[in-house]
Amino acid sequence: MTELLNATAITKRYGGITALSRADFSARAGEVHALLGENGAGKSTFIQILAGAVRPDGGTVTLAGSPYRPRNPQEAQQSGISPVFQELSLVPDLTVEENIWFRREPLSAIRTVRARAMREATLELFARHKFPPIRPDQELRRLTLAERQVIEIAKALSRDPQVLILDEATSALGPQETEWLLGLAKGLAEAGRLVIYISHRLGEVRQIADRITVFRNGATVAAYDTHAVDDETIITDMLGRRMDRLYPERKSTASQTVALGLRGFGVDHRLADIDLDLREGEVLGVAGMQGHGQRELFQALFGIGGSRGTVEVWGKPKTIRGPRQALTGRDGLALVPEDRRNHGLLLSKSVRENLTLSVIQRFTRFGITDPKRESALVDEMIATLKIKTGTPEQLAGTLSGGNQQKVIFGKMLLTEARILLLYDPTRGIDVGTKGEIFQLMRDLAAKGYAILFYSSDLAELVHVADRVAVLRNGRLAAILEGEDNSERQILRAALIETRAA
Amino acid sequence: MNIRRHRAILLAYLGMIVLLLLTSVVAPGFLSATHLRSTVVLAAFIGIVALGQTFVIIGGGIDLSVPWVLNSAAVLMTLLAGSQDAPLLWIVPVLLAAGALVGMVNGFGVAIFGVPPIIMTLAVNVILQGGILVYTGGAPTSTAPKAIQFLAVGRIAGFPVVLILWIALAAIATILLSKTAFGRHLYAVGTSATVAEFSGVPTLRTTVLAYTLSGFTAALAGMLLTGYTAQAYLGMGDPYLFTSIAAVAIGGASILGGSGHYIGTIAGALVLTILTGLLPALNLSSGALLIVYGVVILVTVSLASEALSGLSAFLPRFGRSRGPSA
Repeated sequence: MTELLNATAITKRYGGITALSRADFSARAGEVHALLGENGAGKSTFIQILAGAVRPDGGTVTLAGSPYRPRNPQEAQQSGISPVFQELSLVPDLTVEENIWFRREPLSAIRTVRARAMREATLELFARHKFPPIRPDQELRRLTLAERQVIEIAKALSRDPQVLILDEATSALGPQETEWLLGLAKGLAEAGRLVIYISHRLGEVRQIADRITVFRNGATVAAYDTHAVDDETIITDMLGRRMDRLYPERKSTASQTVALGLRGFGVDHRLADIDLDLREGEVLGVAGMQGHGQRELFQALFGIGGSRGTVEVWGKPKTIRGPRQALTGRDGLALVPEDRRNHGLLLSKSVRENLTLSVIQRFTRFGITDPKRESALVDEMIATLKIKTGTPEQLAGTLSGGNQQKVIFGKMLLTEARILLLYDPTRGIDVGTKGEIFQLMRDLAAKGYAILFYSSDLAELVHVADRVAVLRNGRLAAILEGEDNSERQILRAALIETRAA
Repeated sequence: MNIRRHRAILLAYLGMIVLLLLTSVVAPGFLSATHLRSTVVLAAFIGIVALGQTFVIIGGGIDLSVPWVLNSAAVLMTLLAGSQDAPLLWIVPVLLAAGALVGMVNGFGVAIFGVPPIIMTLAVNVILQGGILVYTGGAPTSTAPKAIQFLAVGRIAGFPVVLILWIALAAIATILLSKTAFGRHLYAVGTSATVAEFSGVPTLRTTVLAYTLSGFTAALAGMLLTGYTAQAYLGMGDPYLFTSIAAVAIGGASILGGSGHYIGTIAGALVLTILTGLLPALNLSSGALLIVYGVVILVTVSLASEALSGLSAFLPRFGRSRGPSA
C-alpha cells in the first residue's frame, strides 16, 4: 500500500527546548493511525505542523507524494488536512451551524448568509455521519462540553478532509458519544480517508487503530500494527521504562465512619433522591453517561447552585452555601473541577500563587503574608506531588496538562478539607501522571481522606474505586462493589432500567 | 514576584525619565527644584485618586464614579465648614466615610447584582452630579478652610505636606497589594473570578473592598484638591476620570484586570503630570493642547498597556503552542 502522509526527520525547537527531534511518521489512506506518547513527547507540536499552525525547523513532509509545506492553517485545510483540537476553537455566541460554517457560510449575491442553505448543509452533514442529536440553531454557550466537542468534529468534517486529525477528542465525551466517534473514525478510514488518532486511552486505540506510532521525547520510538503488539509493550515504549502498573494495588482502607452522608439529596429536576454514604478511607466511584446528574452532584456538594435534602459531614449536618464555605475547616470538602482551564487554574499566574490561593491565611500573621512560610508550603507540595515546574514562579499555563492537574490537587490538599470531590481528574492526562494520580488517591484514602471520584473512563472506576455508584437520569441506579464492579455491570446499570438496584 | 510585572513597571519609570530629559531640553528650567516640587504635588492628586482606581482595575473592574465622588466631597466640605477649621474634625471623617460608602454601593451593585462596572459606576457618577447640582443650585461655594489648604500646599521643613501624605498612602497600598490576603485575592479575582470562586476566595468581599477604597481615595483627593485651589467648584473632578485610569494603565496594569501594581501607577501619575507641564511650553492654544494631550496619552497607554499586558494575555496560549505539552 502507498503512504498518503510521510514525514521524515521533523525537527522543531523553541528556544532551548527541543519539541521534536528528527521524528518520523508515515500513514496510509484508509487507516486509523494512532499517535501515542506521554505529555511532552511532541505529539501536539507534530500535529500543529501538519495543521499548518507551526513550521518545522527541519525535515520534510509529503502528502500523496508531493511536498507539503503549509504556511498557515488555511493552506493545510485546502490540502485536505483538518484537525480537531483539544482546545476548543468555537465561538460561544454563535449557533451550532454558524460555528460549523464559520467564514465559509453559503452566501447570496449580495453577500448575506443563505440561512436555509446553511441549515440544509448542516442537517445533511449530521445525517451523513450519524451525529448525536444537537439542534443546529442552538447557541454554542448552551451546549455541554461534550456537545461542543462534537460540534468541533462537525466543523472539521464539514470540509470533507482527506486527513482528519483527532487530538484527545474523546476526553470530553461520554461513553455514548465516544462509541459514535470511534465508529465514525473507522467509517472514514473504510471510505479511504486517513484518521490520525491521538488518545491517552489505550482501549479506544485498540478498538479502532490499524497502526500505532509512538513518540517519546520528540522522536519516534516505535511503529507497529495494532494487532501485533500488546499493551505492556506500548506503555513501555511510551514511558521508556517499565511502568510497574497503571493502577495501584487496591487495599480497602475504609473505616466505619461516614465522612459524607447524603439523604434525599437533589438538584432541581436533574438530580433526585440520592442516598449515599462515603466513608472515611474510601474511594467511592461515581459513574453515569454524560448528563445524568454527576456534574450536578459534584457542584452542589461544593456549594455551586442550590440543592435539597440533607448533607451530613463527619456526622454533623452541614449546609454548603458556596465554595468558600465548603473549603473551610476540618469538615471541609475540596473539589478538583472538570474544567481545569476555566475553573481550576489561574493560567497567567505562577504555580506558587495557584497552589496557595485557597490557604493564604496559613502563612499570614497579623494580616501580613510571610513569603518564607509560603515557600515552605509550596516547595513541600511540589515535592510531594512531583510537579514538574522550572521554578515555583513558572506560569501555570505553561505546564503540561498533567502538571496543571497536580497543581489543582496541591491547592486542594493544602486546605484542611478531608473529603475530596474529584471530577474526572485524569481527563486528557498522560499515562504516567494518571498512574501517579491513582496512587495518590489510594495513599490519601489510606490516610483517612474520603474520596468521591467521577471518571468518564469506566476502567478507572473499576480499578481504583472501592465501590461505584451509578447514576441514571439523575437517580442512583446501583451501587456496585466486589465482583459487580466491572465495566459491563456499570454500563448495564447506567443504560438499562433494572428493578433490583 | 513577577518578572513581567516588574518589566512593565520598570518601563513606566524609564518612560518617566525619558520624558523628564525631553522636557528639560524643550523647556529649560523645568528641572528646577521649584518646578519639580509643584509637578510632584500635582501628581499627588492624580496619584491619590488613581490609588483606589488601581485596586478596582486589578480586581477586573473600573470606577467611573471617581469625578463626582471627588467633586461631591469637595463641595460638601466647603459648604459644611464655611471656611472654618474646627468643623473639619468631624466633616473630614464623615465625608471620607461617605466616599467609602458610595464605593461600597458600587461594589455591591457589581458583585451582587451583576451590573457591569461601567454602567454601575457611571450611573452613580451621574446621580452624584445631579445631587450636588440640586443641593447647591449650581452656585459656587465658599473658600476652603485654612487647615485643608495647609495639607494641600503647606510644607513641613520644606517638604510638601501632600507629598508626605501620598508617600504614606503609597506605602499602605503597596503593603495591601503585595503582603496581604486581600491583595492576593484581588489579583486572583481580576485574573478569573470563576477560578477565584472555585478556590474559596471571598470574591464578593474582595470586590466590594476595592470599590470602597476607590470611593475613599476619591473623596480624600477631592478635599485635598479643594485646599490646593482654595475653592471647590463644579466640574473640578472631571479631569480625574481619564487621568486616574490612564495612570493605572501607563503604570503597567492590564485594563482587563489581574495584573499591575500601585508602584507602577505612581510612575503613571508622574508621567501624566510632566506631560501636562511640558505641553504648554509648546505654545499651543488650549484646544490644541487638549488634542495633543489626548493623543499622547492614547499612544503612551497603548504602548505601555497593550504591548505588555496585551502580550501577556496571550502568553498562556503562546506558551502552550511552544511549551513541552502534548
